[in-house]
Amino acid sequence: MERGGTAGFNRFYKHAKSSSGLSIVHGGSSNSNNSNGFINNTANSNTMPPPCTVREQDQYMPIANVIRIMRRILPTHAKISDDAKETIQECVSEYISFITGEANERCQREQRKTITAEDVLWAMGKLGFDDYVEPLTVFLNRYRENENERTSLRAEPVLKRGIDYGIGSPIMMAPPYGQPGFHVGGHHQGIFDGATAMGGYFRDGPGGGAGGGSSSSQASLTNNFDPDPFVQYK
Amino acid sequence: MRQAGTYSGIVSGGISGKTGPHLLPLARIKKIMKRSGEEVKMISGESPIVFSKACELFIKELTQRSWMVTIKGKTRTLSKEDVASAVMATDLFDFLVNLVSDSGGTHL
Repeated sequence: MERGGTAGFNRFYKHAKSSSGLSIVHGGSSNSNNSNGFINNTANSNTMPPPCTVREQDQYMPIANVIRIMRRILPTHAKISDDAKETIQECVSEYISFITGEANERCQREQRKTITAEDVLWAMGKLGFDDYVEPLTVFLNRYRENENERTSLRAEPVLKRGIDYGIGSPIMMAPPYGQPGFHVGGHHQGIFDGATAMGGYFRDGPGGGAGGGSSSSQASLTNNFDPDPFVQYK
Repeated sequence: MRQAGTYSGIVSGGISGKTGPHLLPLARIKKIMKRSGEEVKMISGESPIVFSKACELFIKELTQRSWMVTIKGKTRTLSKEDVASAVMATDLFDFLVNLVSDSGGTHL
């Protein structure tokens, strides 16, 4: 068992060395533990001490993703050598570092702590990648539009849509399509909104009835929480 | 309990439809950005997103230029040497010169 374990252990290291050029610093100390028993070997081989050994792949984009992008523009019959794949993988990381370095310098000059998307785009323009700036700007703007659509719809139900749908739950992103489970009784006329955000869907039954009675005469945002049934939720 | 329905379709469909699913993992990009220097402190949420697209463009350009070198020869296999040639031939890729000439040594 021990022999088997050791052989596997060494094989692991050899493989790692040949494919990635990693220097496994703690190899020596692990070998000395072999004589202490299989369990120690297992412990050492399974838990690579983080400070000494850096898994190469952490520093790079996953090679499968890189290859997928490459194949999008190569003809179908094209082959890619393994070392070419690795080289391009390294180039991507170098590219990210290169641009980030420049963007970071600008932030430091302007005494800002956060690298923003604008800094990244600026750095690309400065370092010669101006052809990328426009498509990236379009990409970024579309992304922002999508984000704004999502977040604004999330906020609205609390104020406006509550009028229509009766539930101002912030968890529901867009009540327009109805929530069969949260009816709260039609007789409330759905004037629950901000107030209901917290306890709206607990209001079926008598408590809801009481709340509904008062809310229908009030404007929405004044707190419709009838203290009695809902004290527990405060 | 969130009702899955037309709306969630619009949200996820909208994002994938318009910006495309991200081809590269954002967390990894962020990690690499942080490694680029000691002084890198904070990174906005959008920066890795911009990089995910930028890296895609970069990979495409580098691959395309390398392939142009490949097809000049008789082979259909894109090799590391083709990548190195493309880097040498392109001013934009000057920052990669050391990387492509060094990498032969470290891969032993």
